[in-house]
Amino acid sequence: MKVVADMSPRMSRRGFLTATAGAASAAAAQPLLAACGGGGGAPAKTGAASTSLLQRILPHYQPSSLVKPDYPSVNGSSPAYLTYPSRLVKTVSEVPGSGGSYTGITPLWGTIPSANNPFDQAVNKALGATVSVSPANGNNYATILPQLFSGNKLPDWIQVPTFWAPPLNFGEAAATRLADLTPYLAGDKVKQYPNLAAIFASGWQAGIWDDKLYGFPSYTAGFNFGYQLYYRADLLDKLGIGTPSVKSMNDLFDLAKEVNDPAAKRWALGDIFGYLYQPFDYPNWMLDDKGHLITQYESPGIIEAMNWMAKAIKAGLVHPDQVAGNYGNGVTEFYSGQMVIVSDGSGAWNAADAQKGQAANKGYKRASFDFFTDSGSGTPRMSLEAATAWTSYLNKRLSPSQIQEILRIGNYLAAPFGSVEYHLLNYGVAGVDYTMTAAGPQLTATGTKYAGSAVSTYNFLVSPNNTVYNAGYPEVTKASAAWGQRNAKYGYQPLFYELNVTVPNSLSNANAFTPFVQAGNNIMYEVARGRATIADYQSTVANWKRNGGNKLKTFYEGVLAQQKKLGSA
Amino acid sequence: MTDAAAPTASRPRANVVGSDSVIIAAADATAGSRRRRWWTRLRRDRTLLIMTLPALVLLAVFGYAPMLGLVMAFQDYDLYDGFLHSPWVGLANFQQLFTDPEFWHSFWNTLALFSVQLALFFPVPIALAILLDSLLSRRLRGVIQAVVTLPHFFSFVLVVTIFNEVFGGAGLLDTFLRSHGVTSPFDFMTDPGTFKFLVTSQLIWKEGGWSTIVYLAALSAISPALYEAAAVDGAGYWRRLRHITLPGLQGITVLLLILNLGYSLTFGFEQMLIQLPAVGPGTAQVITTFSYKNGIVAGNYSYGAAAGLFLGITSVILILGANKVAHLFGEDGLYRK
Amino acid sequence: MITTEPARSRRPVPRAPAAGKLTARLLASEERPSWQERPRAATQGAKGGAITVIVALISIPLYTIVVTSFSTQASINQAGGMVIWPHGLSLGAYQEIVSGGVVGRALLISLGITAVGTCLSMAITILAAYGMSRSGSFGHRTVLWVMLITMFFNGGIIPLFLVVSALGGYDQYWALIAPSAVSVFNVIVMRSFFASTAQDLIDCARIDGAGDWRILWRIVLPTSRAVTAVIALFYAVGYWNSWFNIMLFMPSDSAKWPLQMVLYDYLTQNSQSVEPAAAGFQSAVPTLALQMAVVAITIVPILLVYPFVQKHFTKGVLLGAVKG
Repeated sequence: MKVVADMSPRMSRRGFLTATAGAASAAAAQPLLAACGGGGGAPAKTGAASTSLLQRILPHYQPSSLVKPDYPSVNGSSPAYLTYPSRLVKTVSEVPGSGGSYTGITPLWGTIPSANNPFDQAVNKALGATVSVSPANGNNYATILPQLFSGNKLPDWIQVPTFWAPPLNFGEAAATRLADLTPYLAGDKVKQYPNLAAIFASGWQAGIWDDKLYGFPSYTAGFNFGYQLYYRADLLDKLGIGTPSVKSMNDLFDLAKEVNDPAAKRWALGDIFGYLYQPFDYPNWMLDDKGHLITQYESPGIIEAMNWMAKAIKAGLVHPDQVAGNYGNGVTEFYSGQMVIVSDGSGAWNAADAQKGQAANKGYKRASFDFFTDSGSGTPRMSLEAATAWTSYLNKRLSPSQIQEILRIGNYLAAPFGSVEYHLLNYGVAGVDYTMTAAGPQLTATGTKYAGSAVSTYNFLVSPNNTVYNAGYPEVTKASAAWGQRNAKYGYQPLFYELNVTVPNSLSNANAFTPFVQAGNNIMYEVARGRATIADYQSTVANWKRNGGNKLKTFYEGVLAQQKKLGSA
Repeated sequence: MTDAAAPTASRPRANVVGSDSVIIAAADATAGSRRRRWWTRLRRDRTLLIMTLPALVLLAVFGYAPMLGLVMAFQDYDLYDGFLHSPWVGLANFQQLFTDPEFWHSFWNTLALFSVQLALFFPVPIALAILLDSLLSRRLRGVIQAVVTLPHFFSFVLVVTIFNEVFGGAGLLDTFLRSHGVTSPFDFMTDPGTFKFLVTSQLIWKEGGWSTIVYLAALSAISPALYEAAAVDGAGYWRRLRHITLPGLQGITVLLLILNLGYSLTFGFEQMLIQLPAVGPGTAQVITTFSYKNGIVAGNYSYGAAAGLFLGITSVILILGANKVAHLFGEDGLYRK
Repeated sequence: MITTEPARSRRPVPRAPAAGKLTARLLASEERPSWQERPRAATQGAKGGAITVIVALISIPLYTIVVTSFSTQASINQAGGMVIWPHGLSLGAYQEIVSGGVVGRALLISLGITAVGTCLSMAITILAAYGMSRSGSFGHRTVLWVMLITMFFNGGIIPLFLVVSALGGYDQYWALIAPSAVSVFNVIVMRSFFASTAQDLIDCARIDGAGDWRILWRIVLPTSRAVTAVIALFYAVGYWNSWFNIMLFMPSDSAKWPLQMVLYDYLTQNSQSVEPAAAGFQSAVPTLALQMAVVAITIVPILLVYPFVQKHFTKGVLLGAVKG
């Protein structure tokens, strides 16, 4: 039973779909790339590439800082606040909407609130327009997207995470179905929307397809990565280990052996394979030691990761449910102490987690290992994800005046932390949806139902840069923000960082990396469980290469060459 | 509804249908011309055909029209080019399908898993129906029937979760064994060797009760007079079972067998998809999950359509074959010969 | 042993040794027909044992589901999953489901769709099944095959979606009924029962001058109460449970959602694909208690409806229909 939802763009690593690895693109229609178009699909389209072109398309970033953070951003980490600002600033002076009515679809991992509830009404009143967002079940979302696009049944505003874009042939989708926002937002045009300008340019870059800006970013973060390694600090204290020092994979293994005790229903590890790309350092695309372009699946690092995982499973250090691929109960098992060390995204470390954990165990405390290297020597490296994977798009059928109204609405929705607008969108109406306590605003029961889940709904249209604030749990903020400040320096931009490549149709099969990506059903998973050997893995990779993988690599080599030529690699 | 039940009664085979049947039948016999017979039979049975029209219309719109989409199997389907403009690739998708070892592996897995499930599952609802039917207290029977039917309404996700709670590595059984000294207890949920029995037991638990409904209806159609007559003639319980009850269920059993055979290749999607991680694709990959993984998940709709087309044709062949076999045994099967 | 409607001779059966009034009422046997042997104690014991085991196998997991639905999140977190020994209890999950108002409306929608859909489907199915059930009738096998083919060949989600939306069905209620109004499986089962209706009955009616409609209405249907009840149950359950059509044709208009879609939302938070929690994202995923409460709610309507359907499965419904 899955309790926590996901949402890291790092999903490309592990879940469902993969391989956009953020955005990227070479200039359109270079002969090299067109030749790689292969069997009759559209010529290889890629988005904006050269730095100068990018500068012309991207909105000019204008930082805004309403409240000084207690933990300021270091190397891109998200700023953190220990207390809620007592004085809120109004960033939008006049009502943004002009009475228009718009429909939207966003994914929701949570209970669907009733339509047109009081919170929605309050927000719509503040917006001066009717924005009725229908949240659709997040677990089905990938299935309904093809229908909506192919049947041309798109609403006015729709959220399409970049990791679900590939099967939609998004370059073509954007051109035929979505509204081009470049004329409204490029360069200095964004100045009339100060809150939108305050979103990092790297966030906007995620919404660029084929030299045009289409997407609004949500949950933009400078230091965006897939997984970090957590552990139950209180359990380690109880076992007398205290604060562990894990600097290498061997250290991790030894620690796991120490805390593992199946007879007491305590296993050391969850399935942490998804995290192992950090210590072993194999990003989606990389250069091998001869300087050739390879995928993560051809790297030596992934083989070592599989071996390590297999050793851990064989030694009985991994929880049986995780070995069996029953990940749904993972978080509950972590709360109950059945697992001590797990991997998860950065969104798992927050007030809600502390509250749930402490309800089960008074002393519950989540902590995280700093990034480390596999051998213990050298500097740890963490390949970054794009600043966001959450991009929302407008329907091409909207008129210019409608688009402008939506942009003004978007400006309201993107109001940063510490503003009146942000407060309304995330906490709702005073007394109804939340009560102000000494520890900050606390959502009421009504609030969690509407404002809580609606946090995702409006925020999936557009939201400001990520900030960390946990009402009532300042120690969580302290720990997680300090961790962020310490580890952000290990982040680096891998190849094709922030590049939205539209792979030609004939290569889309290879680009799906099917044998490698389905959770619980991929070849690395099988090797880790001893049901396949490394030799089987190698032959799977060889098969993939034969069936379009090599052509895909050639295509990406072309992209890389383009980037070098344009000076943006 | 007693024809099938009476072991000694002859099966009425009056080929007499529709109105004016007797007269027309006589006329047929003396008419001679085939064409006239064809036309008169149509006229005679037109009411019956009219009755089937609403169903046919609905199926034409929602069954056959979408079936045209199977043309995807011969195209390199692109979501935006649609059916009309996607490039034609002929049999290329099928070629890729048939040379994919994973496809054949999942084909054999499907057959293997299905056979075991069929053999072990099929008798259960029949036995359960007979057992329930033999209860004298109608109330008790009703209560039990209601209870055993409930798991049918659970999704397989829930069923697997429940099984995992009991049989999983961290479940009741293994925890019990571990606390009694067994260091690495057998994990029923992840052992590939016993997987077929695992899925069969899941199916029995989930669907066994629900499947008794049809058999109970069939049992209620057997005339009690037959039992009385047999008992009077001195037949004991087991003989009555063998000569009255089982033959009475024979027709519906054969029908359901044939229909299930038709579904055999497409079964198990949700159940296998959930448990693929536990035992691995070598054991649990069936055609439907294969088609899902390579078709929908990868965005390769053509490939999925090709697999679907292949499945459809094979299922039809299977059903035809099964029906013929049934006829050989003197059964009606899907339809009388 | 098969019970029957009161036959000519009755023999009063001794009361079961009462273990309590309830048990006595449950076990109160009906008339055992005169020709039936008295069961041996061993047989009774074996039967009882088998039934107890079967019922236990199902009731115990049901019990876990119900207990978990009434458990506090704390006790679930403590147990690390489903709760067996109740620790903290609370009505929170049920309150949350019922109070949203979403469920109430969805319930009404579901009832409406089920009622309309079942009636429609039954009418169409009965007609079609009878229309094909007379052996020797013109073209009945062709029609049967035409229907059968649709069971095996299926263009997939996208073509169906395109057809329905071309007909204007997107976000319409009829899109939840029409595409699945005909279940060929049900038609075939019903047809098989119709085909084995005593031919002499029908012949008598024909000689009396009855047409096909009259025969269907007056003779075949009344003697097919059991199968009609069964197929109606199948359809009703199908409509009640279906969420797939909703997901396809009404994915986002949640005001129009029937109950199953609302409940499915709660349940599918158990997806097997696990994704890491995003930065800054506050999820409000429902708890295990909520999910189990949803499952429990699903069961209640079935338990309510069941008694009404069951009486159609009793013996001797046909007595009197066959003359001699």
